[in-house]
Amino acid sequence: MARLAESLTTGSGSGSDLSRRCQAMAWRSLLGLVAFACFGCSNSPYPEEDSDTKILYRSFEEAPKNLDPAYAYTTSATAILGRVYDTLLEYHYLKRPYQLIGGIAKEVPTAEVLDDGTIRYGFELRGEMLYQDDPCFAAYGGGATRQVLAGDLVFAFQRLADPLVNSPVFQSFANLKGFAEFAKALAERRKRDPAFRKLPPREQYRAVGGISGVVSEGPHHFELVLARPYPQILEWLAMHFSAPVPWEAVQHYDGKEGRDHFKDHPVGSGPYYLSEYAKESRYVLEKNLNWYGVKHPEWKAAGAVYPTSGAPGDEAHGLLPAEYVGKPLPFIERIVTVRDKESIPAFGKFLQGYYDSSGIVKESFDQLVRGDALSEEMSARGMKLEKSAKSDIFYLGFNMDDPVVGSAKGARSRALRQAMSLMVDVLEYTRVFTNGRGIPAQSPLPPGIFGYDAEYKNPFRTVDLKRAQALMVEAGYPGGIDPKTNKPLRLSFDTSDTSPDGGARFKFFVKAWRQLGISVEVSATDYNRFQKKMREGAFQIFQWGWVADYPDPENFMFLLWSKMSRKKSGGPNTANFSNAKYDELFLKMATRENDDRRMEIMKEMRTLLEHERPWIELYHRESYVLRHGWLKNVKAPGLSLPVSKYWDLDAAERGRRRTEWNRPIYWPAFLLLFMGLAIIAPGIRTFYQERQ
Amino acid sequence: MLAYVLRKLAYGGLTVLGVLLLIFVIFFAMARPDDVARRALGEKAQGAQIEKWKAKHGYDKPLWPTLAKPGGSLLQAHYVSLLSFEFGNSDLNDSPIGTTIRDGMGASLALTIPMFLSGLVLGLVLALFVAFFRETYIDTMGVFLCVLGMSVSILIYIIGSQFVFAKMLRWFPISGFDTDVIADGNWNLLLRFLALPVTVGVLSSFGGDTRFYRTVFVEEVNRDYVRTARAKGAGEMRVMLRHVLRNAMIPILTRVVVAIPFLFTGSLLLEAFFGIPGLGSITVDAIAGNDFSVLRVMVYIFALLFILAQIATDISYTLVDPRVRLE
Repeated sequence: MARLAESLTTGSGSGSDLSRRCQAMAWRSLLGLVAFACFGCSNSPYPEEDSDTKILYRSFEEAPKNLDPAYAYTTSATAILGRVYDTLLEYHYLKRPYQLIGGIAKEVPTAEVLDDGTIRYGFELRGEMLYQDDPCFAAYGGGATRQVLAGDLVFAFQRLADPLVNSPVFQSFANLKGFAEFAKALAERRKRDPAFRKLPPREQYRAVGGISGVVSEGPHHFELVLARPYPQILEWLAMHFSAPVPWEAVQHYDGKEGRDHFKDHPVGSGPYYLSEYAKESRYVLEKNLNWYGVKHPEWKAAGAVYPTSGAPGDEAHGLLPAEYVGKPLPFIERIVTVRDKESIPAFGKFLQGYYDSSGIVKESFDQLVRGDALSEEMSARGMKLEKSAKSDIFYLGFNMDDPVVGSAKGARSRALRQAMSLMVDVLEYTRVFTNGRGIPAQSPLPPGIFGYDAEYKNPFRTVDLKRAQALMVEAGYPGGIDPKTNKPLRLSFDTSDTSPDGGARFKFFVKAWRQLGISVEVSATDYNRFQKKMREGAFQIFQWGWVADYPDPENFMFLLWSKMSRKKSGGPNTANFSNAKYDELFLKMATRENDDRRMEIMKEMRTLLEHERPWIELYHRESYVLRHGWLKNVKAPGLSLPVSKYWDLDAAERGRRRTEWNRPIYWPAFLLLFMGLAIIAPGIRTFYQERQ
Repeated sequence: MLAYVLRKLAYGGLTVLGVLLLIFVIFFAMARPDDVARRALGEKAQGAQIEKWKAKHGYDKPLWPTLAKPGGSLLQAHYVSLLSFEFGNSDLNDSPIGTTIRDGMGASLALTIPMFLSGLVLGLVLALFVAFFRETYIDTMGVFLCVLGMSVSILIYIIGSQFVFAKMLRWFPISGFDTDVIADGNWNLLLRFLALPVTVGVLSSFGGDTRFYRTVFVEEVNRDYVRTARAKGAGEMRVMLRHVLRNAMIPILTRVVVAIPFLFTGSLLLEAFFGIPGLGSITVDAIAGNDFSVLRVMVYIFALLFILAQIATDISYTLVDPRVRLE
């Protein structure tokens, strides 16, 4: 090296200067790097000063698209909106089946049938509730905040009906008296009156007379009047769509003169407020000191204190600890959510203690979970495994309009569907493809939903080759041979999953049906082509899933209601199932409260589906969530409900563990440097010796 | 030279128009406006909502100009909005695309500029080093390492480095980026976030770069003017830095200037795996989400930058080699 340096200094004076400057720069850089290595090297992605604060760290994969509570309909948006906006009603944190409790409304109302046959729900709001502090209030002559009024709920419902807002849940509120008429009147007035169009939304709504079925009386009384029975409306009121919205926020955040758009700047009255929002990468929620639970702990409001009772087994699972029961919420000061598009880095950060909870990546499942419990290594690190059934259903569907597998051939095609249903071993499927995560589905209803019967066994969902073969004979395909061609019956299986993993999963079904002599060809196309086929009914068999919007059986049973046919109305009945008896039973069931009669009707529907087999029910997903021991009071909700206001964490314990788990190891760097020098130095020496 | 630049710009303009037509044709051969709407609104969106969305975003127009309505097609709107630089809002999340690009470009440049500069310096230094020790085992080993480096997929570098440097040795965060750290002046945290992706970016490209620069240097080393310089008593290091490096600038510039547009468009894989919200990451989201409005803007910007970089490369030849004339 000395020779190399020497050769650098040969030549003119300026060359010597250059060499000296280079050497000085190199030394400075080396010193800088050494300093960074010794003092700055750390795998922590957070500032050190935050380590002792009660901050919940989470990750997300898909960026929220829109934070307008009337419009947003994605899990990623709900994770923010559910914390920022308080709703009229909410779900009990611990009880299953899900139970509604008061939110902004003091109690869950009961339906009152009026003389004209309409149904009224009356809500008494809690008084003295405030919105978060926000400049929008001062912009219209107010202070830092203002009270939540019944009129804000009226405004929120009017926005749901507003064609310009284009709410995805418009139809769910269409049973409200005057709802559709209001939307129509608004659209017509905007069309014919350009001056009207320029008015702020609140004034437009007032000018067309509002929605007759959405009424506020005084600042704290609110009523909804339904034109026809729809008890599920109460479930919708536990979601952010109808949360009270201050008109000032909608008017102020218009995207002009450097202001945000309202869809990026939620202003609510919930336990947290959005303090930082970098849509693509990270958002931060801070505890809202104006929230009624914080301002008025003496109210002991149901949704503002930790529950005093729960589901059976909750106490044994430590979910009702004495130090939390009845204590005011929320316990966590800040929620920092960081985007990690890829699951492997996100899971790595969880293992290092930089995220407080995480799902389990498939690749690490066997290493982390042994049987039904956490591995010893993970348990020793203080981790906990939370399992819960998700409110969803994954199924294989038949196109009921198809001439071969559909209903056209009556009993024959039914026998074919029954036979195919008897061949799909879902336990084996979940063992191979989902690490055993999944509860075999016997009907469309998942656990936790009224009507789910853990004892019920669908006679066509147990593998039975002999019975299936006999049914193939009934179907007119003995041994799977199509008499028209004298060759195996050929069917197609459509999917939008073109991945190798997807291919393996579909082969599982193909192989099962091959035992009956049926030849099923998998047609994997891109998402758009698949959607086109579904819309046009140009398919025979497909795989699909449905995640509940709200925990009511109607939200599953309507997936087979003929009015929801994908081909005819673009609805979610992708099997295009149409059965008059089923429709009749569905309409009866949909409008009833959860009572014995409703249960009977659902059993009848279940029997009908069991026989008709428009679907081969596969499984309900099971969520396996890992959390660190320092995160407390965690019960997985099963639905997309933000429940972190009930959680708590021990920041000191987390800090201690992080330090213990993440001490940098430096010696390989020095070893590598030494090895590099050891390899190169002799070469350099030889080179100069030879030249001399 | 002006005539040359104008001619190049005119050709470039035509190329951009062609690129815009191509992206339109390819996109709508794969997706219909209904699919774009369904991706934006979610799987549960109903027919009426989809129609309203299409009307709001201009997708209710016919794709191609018709005789009855020659001026009201989606193709025309596509050209008008891009050529007037009125990018509008994202199909997927309604955010102003201009703002999204501005924000994303900052994050991309925070990654790509250090990656580009350190890659360039490292590549040149290593190439000079191995060219200096040419035909020794250092040269052989350098070439071997370069070929090895070129043969390994960047995905392996990413996953391997996350495992070794972030998980096992715990030197750097596995992933992450916070745009606020620049505003807050938290340079230590910024350095921590960027150290690993920059290292991976440099490692994944140094093999190819070093091999290329070495070939250029070795070719120059055997030229007459180098022999003359040596005969006049110039030291070997002076020969390499003053003569060889300067005379090898044209091929180096070609490679370097053409790479500049890629700095602005970010790195798809590095940004995705290291959680950097740059333009690469935005492009991946746009592809995955059928977001035609963002995708076409990204393609347009890239095409413009690429053409400008080509012209800049030609101009830079005249700066480093007085013999070159652009006509």
